[in-house]
Amino acid sequence: MFNKHNISIYAIAFIFILMLNFILPRMMPGDPVMAIYGNEALVAMTPELKAQLVERFALDQSLWQQFVAYFSGLFRGELGYSYYFNAPAVSVILGRLPWTLLLVGTALLISTGLGIVLGIESGWRRGSKTDRTLLSTLMSLNGFPDFFLGIILLIGFGVTLGIFPLSGALTPYSGLSGIALMMDILKHLFLPVGALTLAYLGGSYLLTRNTMITVIKEPYMLTAKAKGLSQRRIEYHHAGRNALLPVITRTGIWVGKIFTGALFLELVFAYPGIGYLTYEALMARDYPIIQGVFLVVAISVLLANFLVDLFYSRLDPRVRHAY
Amino acid sequence: MHINIKREIRESSTGKAGIIILVIMIMLALLAPLIAPCNPYHQSPMSLLPPSFSHWLGMNHVGQDIWSRLLYGARTSLMVGFGTGALATLIGTAAGISAALIDGLYERIMMRVIDTLIIIPMIIVVILLSAYIRPGVITLILILSFLSWQGGARVIRAQTLSLKEKGHIAAARTFGASRLYIAWRHIVPDLGPILLVDFIYNVRRAIFLEAGLAFLGISDPNMVSWGTMMRDALSYSYLDAWRWWLIPPGIALSLTIVGLTFIGHAAEPVIEPRFREVGIA
Amino acid sequence: MRKIANKKFLNLAPKLIIPAILALIILPSCSAGTREINSYTIADTIGDYGYPSPYTHYSRGPGYIRMSLIFETLGWKDETGFVPQLARDWEYIPGENAYLFWLRRDVKWQDGTKFTADDVAFTFEYTREHPYQWVDSSIVQYAEALDDYSVKLHLSKPYAPFLQDVAGTQPIIPEHIWQDVGNPEQFTSGKAVIGTGPYKLADYNKEHGSYLYGANHDYYIGEPSVNEIKFIKVSAEMTPAALKGGSVSAGDIPPEIVAEMEDAGLTVITAPLAWNAKLTMNHLKEPLSEKRFRQALAYAIDRESLVEITQRGHGVAGSPGMIPPTSEWFNPDTPQYDYDPATARALLEELGYSMEGEYFSKGGNTLELELISEAEYKDVGHFVEQELENLGIKVDFRTLEAKTVDAKVEAWDFDLSVYGHGGLYEPSILPRVITGEGFNSARYTANETLNSLLEAQLTEMDAEKRGELVYQIQELYAEDLPALTLYYPNWYWAHDGTINLFYTSNGVALGIPLPLNRLAFVEIEP
Repeated sequence: MFNKHNISIYAIAFIFILMLNFILPRMMPGDPVMAIYGNEALVAMTPELKAQLVERFALDQSLWQQFVAYFSGLFRGELGYSYYFNAPAVSVILGRLPWTLLLVGTALLISTGLGIVLGIESGWRRGSKTDRTLLSTLMSLNGFPDFFLGIILLIGFGVTLGIFPLSGALTPYSGLSGIALMMDILKHLFLPVGALTLAYLGGSYLLTRNTMITVIKEPYMLTAKAKGLSQRRIEYHHAGRNALLPVITRTGIWVGKIFTGALFLELVFAYPGIGYLTYEALMARDYPIIQGVFLVVAISVLLANFLVDLFYSRLDPRVRHAY
Repeated sequence: MHINIKREIRESSTGKAGIIILVIMIMLALLAPLIAPCNPYHQSPMSLLPPSFSHWLGMNHVGQDIWSRLLYGARTSLMVGFGTGALATLIGTAAGISAALIDGLYERIMMRVIDTLIIIPMIIVVILLSAYIRPGVITLILILSFLSWQGGARVIRAQTLSLKEKGHIAAARTFGASRLYIAWRHIVPDLGPILLVDFIYNVRRAIFLEAGLAFLGISDPNMVSWGTMMRDALSYSYLDAWRWWLIPPGIALSLTIVGLTFIGHAAEPVIEPRFREVGIA
Repeated sequence: MRKIANKKFLNLAPKLIIPAILALIILPSCSAGTREINSYTIADTIGDYGYPSPYTHYSRGPGYIRMSLIFETLGWKDETGFVPQLARDWEYIPGENAYLFWLRRDVKWQDGTKFTADDVAFTFEYTREHPYQWVDSSIVQYAEALDDYSVKLHLSKPYAPFLQDVAGTQPIIPEHIWQDVGNPEQFTSGKAVIGTGPYKLADYNKEHGSYLYGANHDYYIGEPSVNEIKFIKVSAEMTPAALKGGSVSAGDIPPEIVAEMEDAGLTVITAPLAWNAKLTMNHLKEPLSEKRFRQALAYAIDRESLVEITQRGHGVAGSPGMIPPTSEWFNPDTPQYDYDPATARALLEELGYSMEGEYFSKGGNTLELELISEAEYKDVGHFVEQELENLGIKVDFRTLEAKTVDAKVEAWDFDLSVYGHGGLYEPSILPRVITGEGFNSARYTANETLNSLLEAQLTEMDAEKRGELVYQIQELYAEDLPALTLYYPNWYWAHDGTINLFYTSNGVALGIPLPLNRLAFVEIEP
């Protein structure tokens, strides 16, 4: 598995991604000075100020020089200095990353776990009332986008009932710490995670259920039944395990994309996250941040896919070379 | 024992429900220019009005009739959704199955290409493209399909890998069946329900992506879709207007997804006869 | 048993009550007139505006505001006009083209050091090498500290809005801290937020977009009215609910919710018109290079109706002279191009166009224009598109990503564009957005008279003469119409009344239309 061939292809792909990462943002129309300062009529954009900015953003250097700086920075573990946020790109991204992981990660975990269980139950009982009820309920929920569910929950539980806070990841300057702080964060987390979970749930549920259906008719299922195994064991250990392959694959892909995908939800809940950061960075043509975020995404996707591929052979021994 | 898929769908209750829902949706979309009471693009000072006899779903923030926009929005959303869904699923299936069946370098390169495409930030690509290409429905379908097929490809490849080791396929191979034959006659039917999931996923995603792009400004401003209606309504959610502005497009989309799911559900007996409901001859 | 207990109580009661009442009367209450409010929370949709030090706050109005709670200027403004701040008095010396400032003697930096004229002189010298983004550093040629408490600023040329744009905007920084700072944009330690102002920075959090300020009890003008000011991030949709619920003391609100806010007992205030949306035109290109064509467009767009429909009535129709009708600089004789499609058509016909079917055409070519805007203006763009189509011009309207629009306009790769900018309180903005560079500006330099008027008003120190110049500018600009102001939106803030928020005369500093003036948060001793 770790043979020369595979590593070299992974490496080539990675380097190609790094190069694209550098080139693509710079191909977008506009430059950082114009993007950040152009709008503000009150800024005194004197020639001196402009010259300073151009120098600070390294825009006066040739593309090749910028590329070399970018690459050598990567090796040192630096992502450059953000133009817009006026801080090292690494610190800006790391400031928001934990919150995205908390929000999106939790929602992904819950929705995948719940989706798999419900999918297995539904698939096993295909055609029954349970199956049809689960199917209609979860798939009708699936039709609503995450921000839709988010705003409905927020209006219902936040505004009307007043049970949950209206914005943010925590109550700023509340002076809370320890358990109280954790409770505060959880309170702020509840609605956004709820919305995301409901939005993601249908996907993993349907995929599991439908894979389950294709698996149920396998001869080994009949064998298992004949062996006298308990229903639960057959359902989960035999059928369920084999139904996991696609949904795990799908989840692996989501892990990377979802970093930047929760933008609307972050807007609705004023929740700090990488999604909105990406949007701000694009608006500001902040190349270091854009590059940084997509590096994070690239690494997560590659890592997740790699782990999923590893997982294949354990899940299904018949698959001998999935990578 | 020939199982007729069309009859299966027609005669199952969920199948019937699914067909009815989708037919209604499509009919409403097709007939929109005839049924819609108002011009959906006509702005007026009668903004943010609640539902009334002449305006069933009230008016939006620039005095446009929401019901008319819902109907016209159906055209855009269904076209973009189904178009992208079909194309993305098609490409993904071809890529995934071929990657699984054709070993060696082809597969390795294909997988890395897929991974790279998954990683490439879609937003940047779209911003770049929008500067040069006009966003019409066809271009939108092409762009969104290009950006969406990879996920399905990976899933399909994974499942094909495990399927191809099965007995009946190994048997077919010994009989000298070509890979194309195996793919078409064995793998695709077995994968049926999973392909449907991919299709539904792509439809849904396309509709949401279109709304997201409109938010960025990359869309035809004269195109109305369910996604953009929801996004516009979101900005006014501090008023009561969300009840008749945000909810209807959401329900419309939800019904579409449910309709597709039901049809898929009714088609399941095709692959497993034991699923057939008792009482069908 | 009970009876005895009651009796005991009855005996005790007078002995307790009377002293208690006496205590309440005799013991001094909190200092007369001061309402010590513990905490004041302000909502904002974006939240993060950078570290509130002069060189690190983002280049947007709220960024300056957050810095201005800590750092002060020579002069300042309240709701009536200029008031002394670090300088207690000033005088313009026309002969030398210099301003003499007499400084207060009781000001201390928040770290205890005394504030002197050296700090002022140092600040202006420092900005020569490190320009402060909101002040044109070329205006002050050199700064001379005459003694510890007076400083003379020599200007490179006469500059009419000097008091507001420079003396009232340039934050004064402490020499003893900044003299060693070579890289001010990266200076983010605690020392970077030592100012003379009524509040000190207690915390700034980038991710959550929140700021915490504590009162500076040594403030020289008076006692800060609140102990803590908090800025927190709240989405635009949730701000009204947060205000109603009391978790937030002040925030900006959309116009549609104003009535509901007032019903809920909140005070709603509105800013004098500060911002305009414009139809920018590519006047270097046919047919827009022809003045009469641009005027025809103005006649064809019903700006009153535009406000009615796209702003739901919450705004004022644009004046073609750019300066809003509510401004003290507004020239009531500015040509208004009242909605008149007939005149528009006549002008087009004068230029050789004739109606062929639905659209005008000339020489076999249909009259066609491309209109671009970002998503935010899609409704306005659609309205303009309809008006022009009704007139007989084929319009191709597209929305693009915001910065792509900017880039295209910058590169003159457009016909028409809908765009907006603020800063309309002070005529010093006019040269920037008429003849200046950048996509924000009409970049119109063809009219020599207009060019010289724009330059002259900047250096005309006599207010009345300057007013005349600005009047003329509006007339010429409206006549040539390189860009058409479409509307001015109404902006509203709601607050709970504990602090008397006000809109500063002509905006905070050089024209920020926010009701967050540090003086509102101070109990000013008479």
